[in-house]
Amino acid sequence: MTSLLATVAIPDLLVFLLGALLCLVGAVSILTVKNPVHAALSLVMTLFGIAVLFIELQADFLAAVQIIVYAGAIVVLFLFVIMFLGVDREEDLAVEPIVGQRPLAAVLITALMASIVALGLVGHFEVGPATQTGMLHGGAGNVADLGRSVFTTYLFAFEATAGLLIIAVVGAVVLARRNNPDDHVAESQVEELA
Amino acid sequence: MNHLIFLIIAFPLLGGVSLIAMSRRVREPLAGWVATAAVGLSFLTTLGVFITLLGSHSGGPSHAVTQHLFDWINVGALHANMDLTVDPLSITMCLFVTGISTLIHLYSIGYMHGEKDFTKFFIYLNLFVASMLILVLGGNMLLTFTGWEGVGVCSYWLVSYYFQKDSAASAGKKAFIYNRVADVGFLLAMFVIFFNEHTLTYSKMTAHMSSLTLTMAVLALLFAAAGKSAQIPLFNWLPDAMEGPTPVSALIHAATMVTAGVYLLCRMHVVVSASPTGQWVICGIGLATAFVAATIATSQSDIKKGLAFSTVSQIGYMVLAVGTGDYVAAMFLMVAHAFFKALLFLGSGSVIHALDGEQEMGRMGGLRKYLPWTYGTFLFGWLAIIGVPPFAGFWAKGSVLDAVFGKSPWLWAGGLFTALLTAYYMSRLFYLTFTGSARFTEQGPNGEAAVAHPHESPWTMRLPLVILAFCSIFGGLLNLPWVHGFGLEAFLSPVFGSSLVVPADSMTKQFLLAGADALVAVLGLTIAWVLWRGRSERPELTPAFLAKVWYWDNFYDTIIGRPATALANFTAEVVDPLVLDGAVDGTAAAVGGLATRLRKVHNGQIRSYGVGIIFGLLVILVSFLVVVG
Amino acid sequence: MNHLALPTVSYAALAPILFLLLGGVALMVLSALSRRPLAAGTVTGYSVLIGFGALISALAEYGHVNGAGPSSTVASAIAVDGFSAAIAVTVSVVVILASLLSHGYLRRMQIDAPAYHVLALTSASGAIIMAAANDLVVLFLGLEILSIALYVLAALNRRSAKSEEAALKYFILGGFSSAIFLFGIAFTYGATGSTNLQVITRTLGEGVAAKPGLLLAGLGLLLVGFFFKVAAVPFHLWTPDVYEGAPTPVTGFMAAAAKVGGFAALLRVLLTAMPQLSTNWTPVVYSVAVATLIGGAVLMVVQRDAKRMLAYSSINHAGFLLVGIVAATSAGISADLFYLFTYSVTALATFGIVTMLAGPRDDDAGIDRLSGLARRHPAIGAAMAILLLAQAGVPFTTGFIAKFSVIEAVVGHGSIPLAIIAMASAAVAVFAYLRLVATLYRTEDIATVDLGYDDSLTDGPAAFAIGLSVVVTIFFGIFPAALLDFGRTAVAHLLP
Repeated sequence: MTSLLATVAIPDLLVFLLGALLCLVGAVSILTVKNPVHAALSLVMTLFGIAVLFIELQADFLAAVQIIVYAGAIVVLFLFVIMFLGVDREEDLAVEPIVGQRPLAAVLITALMASIVALGLVGHFEVGPATQTGMLHGGAGNVADLGRSVFTTYLFAFEATAGLLIIAVVGAVVLARRNNPDDHVAESQVEELA
Repeated sequence: MNHLIFLIIAFPLLGGVSLIAMSRRVREPLAGWVATAAVGLSFLTTLGVFITLLGSHSGGPSHAVTQHLFDWINVGALHANMDLTVDPLSITMCLFVTGISTLIHLYSIGYMHGEKDFTKFFIYLNLFVASMLILVLGGNMLLTFTGWEGVGVCSYWLVSYYFQKDSAASAGKKAFIYNRVADVGFLLAMFVIFFNEHTLTYSKMTAHMSSLTLTMAVLALLFAAAGKSAQIPLFNWLPDAMEGPTPVSALIHAATMVTAGVYLLCRMHVVVSASPTGQWVICGIGLATAFVAATIATSQSDIKKGLAFSTVSQIGYMVLAVGTGDYVAAMFLMVAHAFFKALLFLGSGSVIHALDGEQEMGRMGGLRKYLPWTYGTFLFGWLAIIGVPPFAGFWAKGSVLDAVFGKSPWLWAGGLFTALLTAYYMSRLFYLTFTGSARFTEQGPNGEAAVAHPHESPWTMRLPLVILAFCSIFGGLLNLPWVHGFGLEAFLSPVFGSSLVVPADSMTKQFLLAGADALVAVLGLTIAWVLWRGRSERPELTPAFLAKVWYWDNFYDTIIGRPATALANFTAEVVDPLVLDGAVDGTAAAVGGLATRLRKVHNGQIRSYGVGIIFGLLVILVSFLVVVG
Repeated sequence: MNHLALPTVSYAALAPILFLLLGGVALMVLSALSRRPLAAGTVTGYSVLIGFGALISALAEYGHVNGAGPSSTVASAIAVDGFSAAIAVTVSVVVILASLLSHGYLRRMQIDAPAYHVLALTSASGAIIMAAANDLVVLFLGLEILSIALYVLAALNRRSAKSEEAALKYFILGGFSSAIFLFGIAFTYGATGSTNLQVITRTLGEGVAAKPGLLLAGLGLLLVGFFFKVAAVPFHLWTPDVYEGAPTPVTGFMAAAAKVGGFAALLRVLLTAMPQLSTNWTPVVYSVAVATLIGGAVLMVVQRDAKRMLAYSSINHAGFLLVGIVAATSAGISADLFYLFTYSVTALATFGIVTMLAGPRDDDAGIDRLSGLARRHPAIGAAMAILLLAQAGVPFTTGFIAKFSVIEAVVGHGSIPLAIIAMASAAVAVFAYLRLVATLYRTEDIATVDLGYDDSLTDGPAAFAIGLSVVVTIFFGIFPAALLDFGRTAVAHLLP
């Protein structure tokens, strides 16, 4: 930890901690709040925290995109759906289908995260630091850098993403389109299975 | 012509397969003609290939042609391809295999007349020929082994052809089991050779092994050959195999399949000749078999069994020749033997056919008058096998005995004495069958039906007899001792190269040896005449010890059969229920128990499936942490 | 502004991907524009043609690579090598067979045929992208293209509640594993500064990693993502439920395509990007292989449902494929290539037969339904028996050669215990297969269930595909040399 403090300025560290805290608190509350609208708002909090982390990395453009696309468009869509289905529905979180699963989940996730962090901490290369990556240079160049890499290094990835999105849309349409009323499987049946 | 080599095998295979396909529609005699035509075409192809080979043969030392059909097995260092190799050795085999097969197919059309499973017989016969040709033409041991197994299976089917008869069914099984035992030898030989040479291809073998390994390889090969070629200690399946129809006995159990072991040893000459110990053992086994079988043959009352032991004895000579290193002599005797033994079997078949299936010589006699064609041709076969000059057997057996003399005079003496026995038992067989009084005209003591007028066989049966008789008379021309540069020796010797040991005797010595052979033949013939003229039974000359094959079967029964049965019973009654069932049931119970416990994890809940993933991930990461930290 | 140098694109090398992806998109547009629903036959024919196009272009790529050697294209995002060409060939064959096998089923179940084929084609393109990906990001996208289409395909059978259940389970757990995988990519990028496989391996070669903690975290997460996709124990728990619930032809397609894509990517990542870490990943793959072999075989024995049994059978096969990875030699890779191809063909055809028998609602594949099948329908029974024996690894079938070459490779590598475990698991599995074969040939209590599905047994295209698969299974079982050589040559031209 000492080496970390030596290389990072205190303000930077504070901003990072703030962003991280936002992410974590948001994420945990998505799971724990009862009201779905509150859960969606918690998601906004997490996404906002990520935007803060982007800014900390001087990736200004991505921070803006993060806010506009995720916090703006996607969560709004979520909220629409939630409203559509009824805001007042609350999930009963008191029932535990498998006894002891929640403590077990907490223990497992903690252990998992701990082991990942531990792996990150013990790691170092004989030459150079544990990681090969660093911050982007300069906020204003972001857009150009991003655009360039999308059309050069990640050209195929970019195009493949287009394909992926088409398939996601096709899939959504196929699942949503129910021409034949006979096709409906009783709602209760599906819910039971999930 | 060389790209057509595969046709040699393809014709009989196609014949067999198409007969299978059409077996419901094709009946007698068409099936027989189709099969005969298939083998005949194969013979013509062989002839074409042979002539091509002769043409190229004169051009230079290269005399092996390989047709690569396709890659077969290509695993690691093992490259066993579908390669058909034609060289003087394999083409010689092919020529007489296809030639005699054609004749015997033709003969069978007459012999099998009226059989219920007429078509099936010819299917088996064609498949046998195809397998035999794969065995002969295979360019590597694995391909030869394929053919080796193929002929074994066909032999099993054909021996058990009259499977309604218990004796035929069990004879088939016996033949099959003996052959399977011998296959272990073949497999061992392949393992040893592949392990040391990293190849199974004949042309690439070098025999660069330690002498102990070499000896092991040769002994394994000899064991394999002993099974297929009915040598000691695995010879006693062959007489039982006579339960099959007589053409089968002639084709498979006299002329072709049983010589496969000798062929294998010739093919592997590089390995065989590199092991002097192995050669001595081969000589010993060959001579012992020749002698033992000859003694047994003196006391047989069944004509086919007599001929069967004669076959065993003659193959013993071939093995003996291989042991001396004179592979050409072995091949010469093989070819000559194929002619006269096929002739003798077909002749005996003709006799049996005429007597409505009677095989006991006690019920024959005087057939000379009734079966003139059979008698006439059988006569030449008889003279040929006992080695009367100038028939084929004289030259062939002579060249073997010359080679044996070069190896050791003691062996030669044994061989010569066996030749005397040969002359004796074959003459006895001949006299009992064709001369003396006709004993079949009245009802036999055991209720055998009388046959008033035996009929000579139809022309399809007589023609092969005549052709084979011709070959038995003039077969010696293939390899006359004083003619060099022409004949089998000149043709075959390049194949064997330095492995070949040819006796370089002076003219005088050759004449003396040949004279001894001829003398022994005439002596045996005379002794038999004196002892058996006009007699049909002389129990004092056919002791039970010999008639019962030296009690060989009883011996095996005592040392292997009974202990094995006892062991099997013990296993079935004690080991199996207590130990094996326990182990198997235990394993099953363990698997079942484990499965039942594991199945509980699959409870259909996504969350618990997720736990599986997280848990696995955690284990991996912690293990990494342990390694790194 | 700087001049933007666009990367060169070798469209010939991308042709198999483009055929499938664009073919799928074009079919979607066509079906949307046409006034009447497209005839099922037309769509199947179209799909088969697209599959053939992909197959021919993949073979052309293979030939090209054999001459010109391996290379990469589109800014080294896609590997143009023998390995990706061989996988493209396999996937194309899977597409062709799957199209034929699904034809009658889609008609019977009144499922929208274009939807199925669009999703199957694009999903297959995802498998090829995974195999050809030379960059972890591209690999991830390929994985998602493959998976998302499969999630939807699994839900296609509206008549069965199990189908939607399966899709939902697959989707949630798949998303979970994708997140883990993505996490792994992020750590790998953090440790090496690149997502490009060549750059990663170069970095690993230069900076000698004394304690590559971050990288190992990445490796562990990546491995789990892969293990989930290929259904290795203990990441396999979704498999039986999803295989059982999904429409049977989809199960077959899933069993083939997902496994091919997953294993191809796993092989490439471990052996070309991270060979330096083999001391770290070999024990992991080794243990997972052992668990997978044993778990798959043991659980197979107790199944009462053909689809579930085949699910565990595919898990056992995954174990064998992992054995080939443990060998980590070119022999191991080519053995895996052979295994993937032959397994795909037999698995597809086996599920094809189960499709015929799974009842009018495709929701009952109980083993009892197969009882005496061979007595009632000798040809189908014999085909099923052959396919099962091939999966069991009986000689003279491709299954034997596949298992043999994998085990040979791992013995050559020196892991004799693993070879013994693999053979023992095969022995246990054989029991389950043989029991099913015996059920097929049972004479008493022949299934007397409602034969309303008998028309499914006269499904021409499916019967053709099954017959073809049986022929392939036996032919390459007796004469495997050509196919083995194909794999060997492919591995010889693997992008380093």
